Amino acid sequence: MDAVLLVFAGALLTALATGLGALPFAFVRSVSTRTIAYSNALASGLMLGASFGLVAEGTRFGAVQTILGGMAGVAFILLTERVLRARDIQFGEVHGDGARSMALILIVMTVHSFAEGVAVGVSFGGSMSLALLIVVAIAVHNIPEGIAISAVLRPRGVSVAGCAGWSIASSLPQPIMAVPAYLAVGAFAPLLPYGIGFAAGAMVFMVFEELLPEAYERGRKAGVALLAALTLVGMMVFQQWL
Amino acid sequence: MDLTITVLVYSSLAAAAAALGAAPLLVRERLPIALIGWSNALAAGLMLGAAYALLLVALEPGSGPGAGGALLGIGFVYWTRAASRTTELELNRLEEMSPDYGYKILLVNTVHSSAEGVAIGAAMAVNLPFGVLVALAIATHNVPEGTVLCAVLTSRGVRLSDAVGLAVVTNVTQVLLAVVTFAIVMAEPSVLPWALGVAAGALVFLVLFELLPECYRQAGPRSIALVTIVAMGIVVLLSEQGI
Repeated sequence: MDAVLLVFAGALLTALATGLGALPFAFVRSVSTRTIAYSNALASGLMLGASFGLVAEGTRFGAVQTILGGMAGVAFILLTERVLRARDIQFGEVHGDGARSMALILIVMTVHSFAEGVAVGVSFGGSMSLALLIVVAIAVHNIPEGIAISAVLRPRGVSVAGCAGWSIASSLPQPIMAVPAYLAVGAFAPLLPYGIGFAAGAMVFMVFEELLPEAYERGRKAGVALLAALTLVGMMVFQQWL
Repeated sequence: MDLTITVLVYSSLAAAAAALGAAPLLVRERLPIALIGWSNALAAGLMLGAAYALLLVALEPGSGPGAGGALLGIGFVYWTRAASRTTELELNRLEEMSPDYGYKILLVNTVHSSAEGVAIGAAMAVNLPFGVLVALAIATHNVPEGTVLCAVLTSRGVRLSDAVGLAVVTNVTQVLLAVVTFAIVMAEPSVLPWALGVAAGALVFLVLFELLPECYRQAGPRSIALVTIVAMGIVVLLSEQGI
């Protein structure tokens, strides 16, 4: 019982850390097209780097399963877009394409948290002695994910507190999935490469289909490419550390 | 066969792939622009997949050298474009009419080929299958590059055979840098993470700076995203066998 509570509390803590990603956006006020372009580039680099890290982990469990999961992730995004396009969704004051990007990144990051929650639970199952280390690692690793979410929401008019709230909400599946995965490592471990692949496929596809094209359209090509490339490499190094 | 000769052969084959780019021009004078977009997206995905695999190997011994190399690679490609005043230049503009456009893309292709050469040389130093995989990605990228160059040059009165020759010659720096990088890394293995980092950073930046922006304009985001991610997946699967 104690262990289950600990896993839940640990995973909840990591979810809260995602909210810290909103902090850097406290000084972003203007809803200018340039801000959107460079925020998109930043989110693209972070998400591509995160996906590279996920794929590297997933292929250790099985490359084919990871790729199959990735294909499902792409299909999921195509389907979600279809649903979102079919109705005129509204996000705060925002309508149309902007609102679709906002809804989409929240859906993508929330879905990806399910896979991460399973990963947390499975790694706890391995050895409880590493528990604290894993919690700190995942918590720190969640901050850039909060940055990616806030980078899309904030320039489109969401408040800093709102960005933090949405970031935390997107990570809540982590504690929810971590507990059953911890209790039944045997049942969840084989699913892990599929889940990781799904998360990576969904994130990469969203970057290529939504975030990057919009960034190129609204910002200078050189600035967008530099920012995205540097954050991609930075994210890879950051994950290497943890 | 001596390993350096192997590197020479594979990088030369990748360079010569540019000549294949002329083939569509023999069939049709005006090419459907979406086709160029898709083939560049295929190249972009293969190159990003290669960059993923290169980065993983580069960062393995500790993140310092690999990350330093990646920054150098990004910085190098950006600097070459900024220094030659071609930062705003759009490649793949078949409709572009300014008279010096042909010279400009010849210059840009020649300069970025050297970064691609580093990628082939460094990957070959990891092991042969990985090197061949990266060479294949670069070769795929050289084909549409050759197509565009030939189309632009022939529309300015250059004979097709000469245009093909020039398209291949712009990739000579690729062969040179592949062999030099390989030789240096073989002589001094401690620079391998640096070389891999340079290669990965340069490839990521080339894709984000030169390939993808044009692709989106030529074929629209959805099909480009699909082609790119499928190509990345193929490289991930193949690189799992190799490294």
